[in-house]
Amino acid sequence: MILRSQRERLLDAAVRVGATKGYGAMTLTDLTREASVSRTTFYELFKGKEDCFLAAYDRATEALLRRVTAAFDAGDSWPRRARAGLAALLEALAEDPDMARMALVDFGAAGPTAQRRHRATLQRLTPLFDEGRDYAPGGRSLPANTSRMAIGAVAGLIGDALIEERAGDLPNLLSDVLFATLVPYIGPAAAAREVRETSR
Amino acid sequence: MASASRRDQILAAMIRVVGRKGYRETSVADVIEEADTSRTTFYKHFEDKHECFLASYDMLIERVFAEVVDKCDGAEPWLERVEKGLETIVQLFAVEPELARTAMVEVAAAGADARQRHWSAVERFTRYLDHGRELSDGAELPANISKLSAGAVSGLIFDELQAGRAEQLPELLPDLVFAMLVPYIGPSAAAEEMRRTAKAT
Repeated sequence: MILRSQRERLLDAAVRVGATKGYGAMTLTDLTREASVSRTTFYELFKGKEDCFLAAYDRATEALLRRVTAAFDAGDSWPRRARAGLAALLEALAEDPDMARMALVDFGAAGPTAQRRHRATLQRLTPLFDEGRDYAPGGRSLPANTSRMAIGAVAGLIGDALIEERAGDLPNLLSDVLFATLVPYIGPAAAAREVRETSR
Repeated sequence: MASASRRDQILAAMIRVVGRKGYRETSVADVIEEADTSRTTFYKHFEDKHECFLASYDMLIERVFAEVVDKCDGAEPWLERVEKGLETIVQLFAVEPELARTAMVEVAAAGADARQRHWSAVERFTRYLDHGRELSDGAELPANISKLSAGAVSGLIFDELQAGRAEQLPELLPDLVFAMLVPYIGPSAAAEEMRRTAKAT
């Protein structure tokens, strides 16, 4: 039980130190000091800095995916479900900018394993996007990569805001990320109309 | 003059080594060896690995951009420019996978200032290729629509490079064309362009 809370504290520390110092500059000492945990305990829990970072990444992204999926499942039409899911995502990221930076920007600094895991996490969002195939007329004949395009566009818009340290403004991006999600499936005119209609 | 070209050699070496070994694993010693120069020369030009990397990244972007501009004269119709521009990039990346990895993947490991450069470069390319507003039948497009294309296109390229498929990137060209065009002209018109590109290549 104590070990468990020490683990959680180390994960919190990885998120905070990573956001302030960057992953590259973060040391094991930073982590153990920030979490008030001994080096011995650290090594009982993690193999090293990367292992700890990856665990923090997994914890953050699992929580995000849970929130997004729950919000998405509550909507009726696909555009409304997408809007609800994206709104939940933006709110969660705005609430915790350090976590947001780690989950969407700094993971790249942690090397190939973290980058692969990041791509895998994004791909888990595929079903949310690909409901557009059933919704859109002719959606079945869209390129196989359509959901990856939409996910890339959404991740790009959010990453851009985070790089410019505008995490607090993220909820204002909702119309744009919803447009980005809908547009490859239903085109710009219908996407703009759905963005307007679902905001009522 | 000799000194300027020596500097360029170091920058080119940095791009290759980082693409091969990864940014974190790259040391100044690796770069010196690759550039066939001395430690003294390296430190005459650069403060450290990070400064050298940023300079090499700027050089890389200028080179890729110059190749794109070279292939597009700016007078061609927008659709054609998108196809030519993307084709230039995927072919360059396929021929020089190390450069591609440095440009798109390893840059993320080089800190916040490097990521900032990466993102501005991607946007610069999309803005150059992006005259889609004129073709979009007056739909109310978001102000940052070029960022949206940028994210879609770079996400697909990133995935391929991550999977070690730089050489196969040209096969992805039709999909990239679709991704770039779809926010402006919608899926059926973009799919038509995609098929046209697939036939031409």
